[in-house]
Amino acid sequence: MEHPLALTTQGLTKSYGSIMALRGVNLEVQRGEIFGFLGPNGSGKTTTIRCLLDLIRPSGGVVRVLGLDPQKDPLAVRARVGYLPGELRLDDNFTVEGALRFLNQLRGGKADWRFVRELAARIDLDLKMLVKNLSKGNKQKVGVVQALMHRPELLLLDEPTSGLDPLVQQTVLRLIAEARAVGATVFFSSHILSEVQEVAERVAIIRQGQIVEVANTQSLLNRALRRAHVRFRQPVDSAPLTALPGVTVLARDDGTSLLMQVEGEMDSLIKTLAAFPVSDFETERPSLEEIFLAYYAPTRGAERN
Amino acid sequence: MWPIFQNAVARSRGAMLGWGLALGLLGMFMLSFFEILADQKESLERLLASYPPEMMAFFGDTTAMFTPEGFLGVEFFSFMPIVLGIYAVLAGSGLLAADEESGTLDLLLAHPVSRTALFFGRGLAFLTTLLGILGAAWLGLVIGARVYDVDLTATSLLRPFLSLLGELLLFGAFALLLSMFVPSRRLAAMLSGLALMTSYFITSLARINEDLEQAAKFSPLNYYQSGDAITQLNLEWLLGLLVVALVFTLLAWWRFERRDIRVAGEGSWRWPWQQFRTYERKSGLQPR
Repeated sequence: MEHPLALTTQGLTKSYGSIMALRGVNLEVQRGEIFGFLGPNGSGKTTTIRCLLDLIRPSGGVVRVLGLDPQKDPLAVRARVGYLPGELRLDDNFTVEGALRFLNQLRGGKADWRFVRELAARIDLDLKMLVKNLSKGNKQKVGVVQALMHRPELLLLDEPTSGLDPLVQQTVLRLIAEARAVGATVFFSSHILSEVQEVAERVAIIRQGQIVEVANTQSLLNRALRRAHVRFRQPVDSAPLTALPGVTVLARDDGTSLLMQVEGEMDSLIKTLAAFPVSDFETERPSLEEIFLAYYAPTRGAERN
Repeated sequence: MWPIFQNAVARSRGAMLGWGLALGLLGMFMLSFFEILADQKESLERLLASYPPEMMAFFGDTTAMFTPEGFLGVEFFSFMPIVLGIYAVLAGSGLLAADEESGTLDLLLAHPVSRTALFFGRGLAFLTTLLGILGAAWLGLVIGARVYDVDLTATSLLRPFLSLLGELLLFGAFALLLSMFVPSRRLAAMLSGLALMTSYFITSLARINEDLEQAAKFSPLNYYQSGDAITQLNLEWLLGLLVVALVFTLLAWWRFERRDIRVAGEGSWRWPWQQFRTYERKSGLQPR
């Protein structure tokens, strides 16, 4: 029977001497979902992905990929996974086609070459070029094709759009969505939040080797963190507003304009505003990027202190 | 394992062709001098006698150089362990570590290829490359012997190459083993190159200095026969070299199976003093 989860980690730890790269990562990725893995550079995204493929061995914890233990059964795991490394390096002596054919050989010739050509054409990749003559972006395209070409059950993509121009980025995101549409699970790391917001159904945020949040992308965006911009007919003393719990002033302009960040329900703010001469009131939802930064702000402050 | 082997052999085609052709031509070229040398035996003997023994120690038994075996021993096989040893050390240290450092190993091992298959596929390709180079050099000597009418058979010429192969495999395997433990391929190549040179000097100088004889027993090049193997191959020595090479290879494989595959800057092994500097930074200690 097919395992219901594409990927699980429980208490996953990885240390390099005294440096703890992962401090008990817990993740569950459902089959058939696109899961975004967010975090700044050095937070443990790549280390987690490399543990999933048995490229590095965890110091502790449990890892299951498609129901299999990657340490006990690495070949079975890798046969069903497509991987795009964060730092993609290819053998310079190959042509693009040669590199793809060699990688396909390692999979026992599983890829359909018409599909490979179709993928290459969609992201404008010339198969005849020598790898050593390719730009970083074009090498990344080779990485995208090799990860998708055998139609894997699970895609592990480490910063898949890195180095690509915006048009190709959009095509790659479409390819990811199409892979999901035919049943693949996609786990991809990124620090470009807009792309995660665009395609991922759920996201996990990792900070200093720990998962700090796993949530539905939409619910994270809908989270009660909002920005409120109030304009007053005349200068006012905004102290009663800024004293409200969960309200932080972001910008203030000679007493007639106030930009606030509101955490939690808007009820108390609106009731308090009723006593003010309000001429305009706007609220906007923050982007995933702002939510993400909100997770990091306290730590940065603590580090500075 | 087969695609890995094929790919690795394809990547060493240049080395095989370059080294093989150069050594083959060198062998032919050297044999063309044998007749001239034999004609001038007396004057050359006087010249050699004037050289300091420390210098002559590095060429082996020069008194025998007026026989075909002795001539090839001095003019060709005496320096082959160093010339090809450098190739073996560079190729051995880079067999896996070069790709690891360049980052291509990460992608390879994300495919359904076991570490064992990768290790032995590459190892077999290394052996094939060495056989190709030595085969071309042997062929050059065989052709040279025919062309210049030197009394050496193809079989007798094969024997010193077997002894040389044992040496090269040992140093290649040693470099490979070091590359599995030390932080960089360059360091592994440097250390094994140093071992090669040390072995060469100890073995050569032990011929004129009795104090070094004990130390030379631990030197791998002590068991390299050079041109002497043309008349009789010491199978025990060859077997000994191959067994040590095999032990190094198995230890390297054992380590490769268990270690993390590194990417740039991740999980690198560090020197003790670098670790101490980190400790200083973390604990707020400042170096004096």
